[in-house]
Amino acid sequence: MKNFLQQINSYIKEAYNAGKYLYNGLSVTFDHLRRRPVTVQYPYEKLIPSERYRGRIHYEFDKCIACEVCVRVCPINLPVVDWVMNKETKKKELRNYSIDFGVCIFCGNCVEYCPTNCLSMTEEYELATFDRHNLNFDNVALGRLPTNVTTDPSVKPLRELTYLPKGVMDPHEIPASDTRVGKLPEEVYDWMRPEHNENKDTVSNPNN
Amino acid sequence: MEYGLDLEYSFNEFLKGFGLSSEIAHIIWLPIPMLLVLVAAVVGVLVTVWLERKISAAAQQRIGPEYAGALGVLQPIADGLKLLVKEDIIPAKADGILFTAGPILVLVPVILSWLIVPFGQNLLISNVGIGIFLWIALSSIQPIGLLMSGYASNNKYSLLGGLRAAAQSISYEIPLALSVLAIVLMTNSLSTVDIVNQQSGAGILSWNIWRQPVGFIVFWICALAECERLPFDLPEAEEELVAGYQTEYAGMKFALFYLGSYINLILSALLVSILYLGGWGFPVPVELIAKFLNLPINAPFIQVFTASIGIVMTVLKAYLLVFIAILLRWTTPRVRIDQLLDLGWKFLLPISLANLLITAGLKLAFPQFFGG
Repeated sequence: MKNFLQQINSYIKEAYNAGKYLYNGLSVTFDHLRRRPVTVQYPYEKLIPSERYRGRIHYEFDKCIACEVCVRVCPINLPVVDWVMNKETKKKELRNYSIDFGVCIFCGNCVEYCPTNCLSMTEEYELATFDRHNLNFDNVALGRLPTNVTTDPSVKPLRELTYLPKGVMDPHEIPASDTRVGKLPEEVYDWMRPEHNENKDTVSNPNN
Repeated sequence: MEYGLDLEYSFNEFLKGFGLSSEIAHIIWLPIPMLLVLVAAVVGVLVTVWLERKISAAAQQRIGPEYAGALGVLQPIADGLKLLVKEDIIPAKADGILFTAGPILVLVPVILSWLIVPFGQNLLISNVGIGIFLWIALSSIQPIGLLMSGYASNNKYSLLGGLRAAAQSISYEIPLALSVLAIVLMTNSLSTVDIVNQQSGAGILSWNIWRQPVGFIVFWICALAECERLPFDLPEAEEELVAGYQTEYAGMKFALFYLGSYINLILSALLVSILYLGGWGFPVPVELIAKFLNLPINAPFIQVFTASIGIVMTVLKAYLLVFIAILLRWTTPRVRIDQLLDLGWKFLLPISLANLLITAGLKLAFPQFFGG
């Protein structure tokens, strides 16, 4: 008889616990109902790429001296530099330059080593095409400037997480006047100038 | 208690004014409430599908359907239209007749069960004496349809899904019927109208949920299991069984299953509100409001008011329960088949049996509180 009562007791306890856990779970899901989505509604909203964003490569034909350094530093020797030696002037004559973005890994080594700065990285990342051969950009396509997210009237630009004010997680409806968390680059530069050197001891960390 | 709008009587009187005999007036009247309830059921499904998608989105911090109509209200209609014009495929090795009859056999009993759902004193298709028993009987036709479509598909997933659906429906029907029996014991009637009227004495205080809390929980769990809602959606567990008995279905036949499961969910919610939450009753008795306003209970204004309040209250309570079902869907993980049968046979069945016995005892001890 005692054993039977014990069984009944554990039975009731189990049922009570099941109900309690169910209630806990339901309160979690119910609480989620009042949280709004922070999702970026791409193509209507887009994140502003950061300053050092490594997007599609931009190329200026007129600056290029056909030195082929970009080819040497490229992990897979990707850029195609099509030049001929002009026998009379004894100079290289550049005819064509192309990079296949279907193969490029956007490491930025070519941009880093280019002696004349004719290569640079843009913030363009929407490169999808219906045919992979369309990703092979020649010097004309490489010379086009991308449309800017902040100037495109059909797109609502949103700041990335690190560019939001302190403690803010949702990029929607943040006034443009709100500055990002931490010091801006020009503020760090001001702090590094020699006339402020005596203050350096009091303010030890520029990121404060 | 015989007050309230009698639309049938007024309609027949209206037709008799044109010189029609009462038989012809009755024949003209007959299809009207049926059509009305069918339309109400389908609109209810559209609203529930939209609510399910929106509430699921909110629970997961998404936005959900947004572009089809304002806030995506036209999304369910778009889905339905898509299914309507889709190609109807019957697998080559499937049994054509059983394959086609399956979804029909699933949907028809669910729609027939709407016969007994009252939205007011006279606002139901027919006040059958065996009301709630009719629903239990009709709901046991459904597993035959599920088994049929699962077997006829000639697909291992379909067969497993069909078998699971049958096992689940049969094992959860018993505690369901037992908890309904406790209510019937208190009401002395199987009619849904009598069950609601028995709860209408003192507004919210006289609702059956206070006298039958255990029965309420058992009934709700069983109703979810009968509808194959998420903690118990084993028959169509997509991770293991692709889509269960629905695997081979496409187009309108799939739409019938889809429609059936949502109509069943709304029906279960409506029945919970009728059996336990006072049906069309307002939390404060309407007689008290009428007395407060110094109006006779038979005044036309009060009658229209009570009828509309009744419909609103029934629908409101049902949709509150639908909301809880959707929230449960995103809270609870799916149970295993052994856990499902454990819960059904080892927990709900003894609990509902004990509940029935205790109710019978209490009815003998306190007849004024537990029905005489």
